[in-house]
This record gives sequence, C-alpha cells and structure tokens, in this order.
Amino acid sequence: MNIIPILQLQSNLIASIQTELTDEQALAFQSELLEKNSALNTKGIIIDVSMLDVIDSYMAKVLTDLAKMIKLQGSKAVLSGVQPAVASTLVDMGMKLNSIETFLSLDSAFLYLTKEQSGKTKK
Amino acid sequence: MSFTLSQKEYSSNVKFLLKINQEWHIARARYQVKDLALKHGFGQINLAHLITSLSELSYNLVFHTNNGGTITVSLLFCQDAIGIQLLCIDDGPGITSIKDALTDGFSTNGGLGGGLPGTERLMDEFNIESSSKGTQISCIKWNV
Ligand SMILES: Nc1ncnc2c1ncn2[C@@H]1O[C@H](COP(=O)(O)OP(=O)(O)OP(=O)(O)O)[C@@H](O)[C@H]1O
Ligand SMILES: [Mg+2]
Repeated sequence: MNIIPILQLQSNLIASIQTELTDEQALAFQSELLEKNSALNTKGIIIDVSMLDVIDSYMAKVLTDLAKMIKLQGSKAVLSGVQPAVASTLVDMGMKLNSIETFLSLDSAFLYLTKEQSGKTKK
Repeated sequence: MSFTLSQKEYSSNVKFLLKINQEWHIARARYQVKDLALKHGFGQINLAHLITSLSELSYNLVFHTNNGGTITVSLLFCQDAIGIQLLCIDDGPGITSIKDALTDGFSTNGGLGGGLPGTERLMDEFNIESSSKGTQISCIKWNV
C-alpha cells in the first residue's frame, strides 16, 4: 500500500516524502503516482524531499527511475527541498540526479512548472 | 580533507551492535546512529555523510549476502575530536574484486554502483577486507 499522500494542485501532482522508503513502499508509491498522473492527465509532478536528511543511492535510484517513467508518460517530475547536507552528500557520493531537475523550495518548483506549462499552451 | 588523526592515539568505546539482515533493520539502525551522533555534537553535513554511509553498508548486507551481518558502532576520542566508527562484518560470499567494487558505477545487481566508492569518499577512513568467507569493512567519520 502506498503511504505517501499524492495531492493535485491545478495541473500538477505534489507528493512529500517524509521518511525513507522500503523497496515495497517505493514500488507502491511509484505505481500510484504513475496511475494518478495518467488518470488525472496532470502535466507536472513535484516530489518534495525537504523532510529527508538522507538520500542514499537506493533512494536516488528510486527518484531517478520515477522521473524517467513520468517522462515516458509525457509529464515532468521535479524535486524540491533538497537540504544542504543532502546536496553535499549527493555530490560526494558522485550521484547524478541529472534526469531530474531540483528546486530549493516547493514554491519555486511550482512556479517553474506553471510557467513552463503556460509557455507550452501558447505555442 | 586530509586526516592525520588515525596516526594519533585514540580511545574507542563500543556503543552498540546492529544486526542487519532485513530492510526494515536499516531504518532502525539509521535512527540509532543518528541519535548517537547528534548527542555528541555532529554537524549536519558530517551527520549526513555518516548516516548515508551507514545506509549504503546496510543495503549491501541485505542485498549482497544471504544472512546479513552486523555493524558495530563505536565512539572514538582523539584529543578534542570525537569520531564514530562503523565496523561492518558479514559471512557472505565476499567481494571478488575490491578494486572493481570501489569503482563508480560497478554493480553486480543493477544498482547505481555508487555505494562503496561513495562511502569511501564520505568517510574519513575506510578499510575493506574480503575473502570467500566474508567481508569486513571499517570506516570512521570524525566530527571536525
Ligand atoms: N557485503 C558484501 N558482500 C559481498 N559483496 C558485496 C558486499 N558489498 C558490496 N558487494 C559487491 O560490491 C559491489 C559494489 O557495491 P556498491 O554498494 O558500490 O554497489 P551496489 O550495491 O551494486 O549498488 P548501489 O549501492 O549503488 O545500489 C556490489 O555490486 C557487490 O557485488
Ligand atoms: Mg550498495
């Protein structure tokens, strides 16, 4: 069962990860997010990690995999709230979160997605 | 960051022994070590480095051995500095090539392969011994 609440805000989904996830929890989260994204036809997904003080290579893989799948669905996933200590650790770990854009706050992530979405509809 | 502390004398005090053979043990281990580090004044970045390394070693016990293993957590005192040592021991299959295992991107099970080389970079001291009878990894983070 998925333990992470997924909320809709305009054409975006927001999920805040509060604790480290086990393998099963990560899979359940992944599939619910993908299902919701296609059912609600959302354009952007923000995954907030401001409550996490550790992102290890397992968690990094979960997040990058998720971003790739969301991209295949034609939407875009971004990360918000990467803590300074987490950022420093990710760099030392040599972990590349390059398939996923990151933002300091939920607010800036949301602003970015809405801007990008309104840009797209104008085309 | 260079370290000469290891050449100096330090005293060590075993705090607890974590048994890890299932995924849910990892969250508990993380919590206990975090608590210990915070009690002894570890800063946010040193703490994140220590806990991430603990995570990586623990996941390796769960994913790369049959029976898991133990992590002995000790406090180290060296003059004014305090450190935490993780001593990770298992009787699993061993690491065939330590050189490969410490190379970024090398994984035998489709992981990112950053666990061990990352831990080596995050910790101040890192030592690994392995044979077909098991693996022993010792690493230290100094709070300086
Ligand atoms: N305790 C262990 N016993 C046996 N083999 C191990 C152990 N720890 C690591 N290894 C071997 O070393 C390799 C590299 O480990 P490392 O943690 O760097 O990467 P990974 O676990 O494969 O992937 P990641 O940690 O990035 O998810 C592993 O694929 C595994 O073959
Ligand atoms: Mg690993």
